[in-house]
This record gives sequence, C-alpha cells and structure tokens, in this order.
Amino acid sequence: MQQREEKQLESSLDSIIQRVNDLKSSIASMIYKVENEYETLNWPTFLDNYALMSGQLTSLSKVLSHDKCPTLRNLTVLPLMLSPERDEQLAQMTEHRVTTFAHDLVPDYLRTKLEPLAENKMMQLEHKASTLSYENAQKQIAAYQKVVSHVWELVSKAREEWEVESSARGSTQQNSSVADTHSLVAAVGMGKGLKMGANPNGQPNPTSGGMMVPPQGRPGGTPGQGQMPPSTQTMTMNKAPSAIKTNIKSATQIHPYGR
Amino acid sequence: MGTPGTAIDSLNAALKCNIIPNQEYLLQGSVLDQYVEVLLHRLRGLCDNVDSGPESFHDHELCFTLRATNPGAPMVLPLRVRRALDVPDAAWQLRYVGQQELGDKNRPTVVRSSIDMACSSTIVEFLTELGCRVDFEYIARGYMFRKGRMKITVSKIFKMGSMTSKPGEGVEAISQSYLVELSVLAPSGQDAIAEDMRIFAEQLRPLVQLEKIDYKRLGNLP
Repeated sequence: MQQREEKQLESSLDSIIQRVNDLKSSIASMIYKVENEYETLNWPTFLDNYALMSGQLTSLSKVLSHDKCPTLRNLTVLPLMLSPERDEQLAQMTEHRVTTFAHDLVPDYLRTKLEPLAENKMMQLEHKASTLSYENAQKQIAAYQKVVSHVWELVSKAREEWEVESSARGSTQQNSSVADTHSLVAAVGMGKGLKMGANPNGQPNPTSGGMMVPPQGRPGGTPGQGQMPPSTQTMTMNKAPSAIKTNIKSATQIHPYGR
Repeated sequence: MGTPGTAIDSLNAALKCNIIPNQEYLLQGSVLDQYVEVLLHRLRGLCDNVDSGPESFHDHELCFTLRATNPGAPMVLPLRVRRALDVPDAAWQLRYVGQQELGDKNRPTVVRSSIDMACSSTIVEFLTELGCRVDFEYIARGYMFRKGRMKITVSKIFKMGSMTSKPGEGVEAISQSYLVELSVLAPSGQDAIAEDMRIFAEQLRPLVQLEKIDYKRLGNLP
C-alpha cells in the first residue's frame, strides 16, 4: 500500500518537475529574446511566447489538481543536515544557483510561513475586517457587486456583439450566387431570357420597333455621328416587322441567306 | 492604287508575326447587389486606375446572327455590336467572339477567339443588309477596372423593355447580381497571362468566384 503511494508520488513529482522545467526554459528563452532581440522582436512572436507560457502554466496546474496527484501540502520536507561546504551535486542540480546547503539559505528555500512583513500586513487586514460593522460590510459588498456586475455586463455585451459579427461573417461567405452567375453568363453569352421570341401580348410591331429603333432613335446623337440617310431609315422601317424573333426563324429557313 | 494591297500585306505580316490580339482569356462570376460596393472597393485597391477612380460605362449590345443553312450543317455566325449610351460620340464596336475552349483542368481560364473593331453607327444597316438578324440585345451598366493587361468589368445586365422607344428607359435587371468578368485580349499562345488572371481572381475570393464557365452546360438551365 505504502509502496504504491510512493510510486504515485514519484511519478507525479516527475511530471511536475518536467512541466516546471518546460516552463522555465520557455521563460528563459523569452527573457533572452527580450534582452537580445528587442530590435527585431515583433509583437506576434512575443504573444506566441506568452501563449506558450500560459499554456504550460495551465497544464502544470492541471497536473497539480489531478486526482492521482497526492496532496503535496500534507508532505513535509525535513532538512537533515546543513553544511557550509560547497555541494557539487546540489550546484549541478540547481544550475549553480545554490551551491551550499547552509544555514543562511535553507530557511529561505524551505519556508512555509509567510514573510514577517507580509504576515504583519495580513494580520492588519484581518483585524480591520473583523472590526468592520455588519451594515458597513454589506454596503461595501453591494457596491462592489454593482461594479462587478456592470463590468460583467459590458464584457458580455461586447462578446455577444463580437460573436454575432463573427458568425455573420461566417455566414456571409455567400457573397455571390452560382445561379445568378449562370443566368447572367447565359444571358450575355447566349441571350437566354433576353430573346423576344415569345411575345405574350401579341404586339409584334412595338417589339420589333424597340429592337430596331436603337440605330435610328438616337435623339441625342450629334450630327457628326453619322445620321442615317432617310432612304436607309425607311429601309430599316420596312425591314422592321421581319425582325421579330418568331418570324426570323421561319423566314431564314425558307429564304436562307446563302453564303 | 496599291493601298488595299499593302493593307492586306501588312495584315498578313501582322498575322504571321502573331502580334494581333485575337485570343480572349476569360473568367466570369457574379456578386450579389448588396456586396457590389465591397467588391468595387476592393477592386479600387487592387487595380491600376486608382487615382481616376473606376471608369463607368453604360453600353447597349446587340447580338446579331447570320444563319447559313448548308445542307446538314447549319452554321450560325454570331456578331456583336456594342455602343456607348453615355458617350454619344464614341465609335461603335463590332465584335466576333468564337467558340470557347475550356481546355483541361490545368488551364486556368476559358480561351476564345475574339476579333473586334471600331465602326460607325451604320453597321446595323450594313449587317441587316447582309442578312444578319438581331438575336437578342441587352444593356450593360457598370464599372471597368484595369490591372496591367487585365480588364475587369462589374456590370448590371438589363433586359430591354418591350414597349420602350428609347434604350435606357423601361429596362429591367435580369438578376439580383452584378456580372463580373476578368478578361485579357492577347495574341495566341500567350498562356502565361492566364496564370496571372488566376492569381488575381484568387484575390477576389470569397467575394466573387471567378471561374471558367461552360456555356454548353448552361444550355440546359431552366
């Protein structure tokens, strides 16, 4: 039973150490970048580094809060021997940050109690909290809650807007319609939907007039633009009725303009 | 009277040297009316004529066909006449557009032969006398952009109203979208330009999907 617990502790310590090392190396590389490449460092890479670190922190805290991880706070570290001599192994393990396991360093590294200054401050705050009257506390809580809820509202509103916008952007990918493309191309290329073939009103003359008027009906046209001589105009008029689509077909079949 | 001869000669020489831009590289797409402003804005940023702003146009296009019924092989020759409604002095344009070649998947654009020339307004009578008949007509109104040799048009296509006496009145738009065309006229064999067009079209996604569109498949549309 105890063996199993020990094993578990060891494995979880291993994984914690590994993650802490990852975090350490990425912090180190970030510091290196800030110190040495600040001229070329751009914002996206900086943010990438930051995102990496925050991801590592998250995974570290996940490991710590995992069920399998034994509660570390129940374990104690007991220093058995202190020595002022230089300890090579320790130096190697700590990358020469700690070279001796001596009296002046150990209390700092193995501290479980708050620093005296911080402890004092905490005491003061706790004292202040305990002397506060109930109504006063309620009032402050209410004010605080009001502020927080207001900020919350702002944030959620902004988020909602952002989401609507992004989803709208997602759905408006449809900026063009394939059917419209096809109908337009077919119309321009082959006259689909533009031909005057079937005239439901049975008014052939206005229709053909509409078709044939463009050449002659340039009322705004300048004289230099080649107004047609009257003879051709009448000719066009004579030809007009035969320009109806339905008539063309039959006409051309009977009288093909052989070429 | 050596003039016609020399004209023919120089035309032949030009054909031989392959300097006549008779191939049109084409990509087509459309954009819904409500997003056309976004597209114009983007094009303004991407294209060359930044300072002058987009060039607008308002054209009337008549599509004529000349039918020759040879026994067994009816031939239809399409000819297009285009004129500017907003610039009355501008020359008219006569254009022949050939069968489009889709090519395989590796070819980024449609290629079709295209010959166009300026002409006067009497072209309509001339074609009518030749036996051409108006097959259909439409009004295109929109904007044109340039990017190097590429031409980009964003246009609304209108059907001619049946009762109008003047073009430009009583017209109705045929869809809720603008037609977008990216084209280059080049001498044959300059396929490199097609790659440029593909890259440019890529920059307009997803606003507009400029694609090779197969007319034959469109024939079965409802």
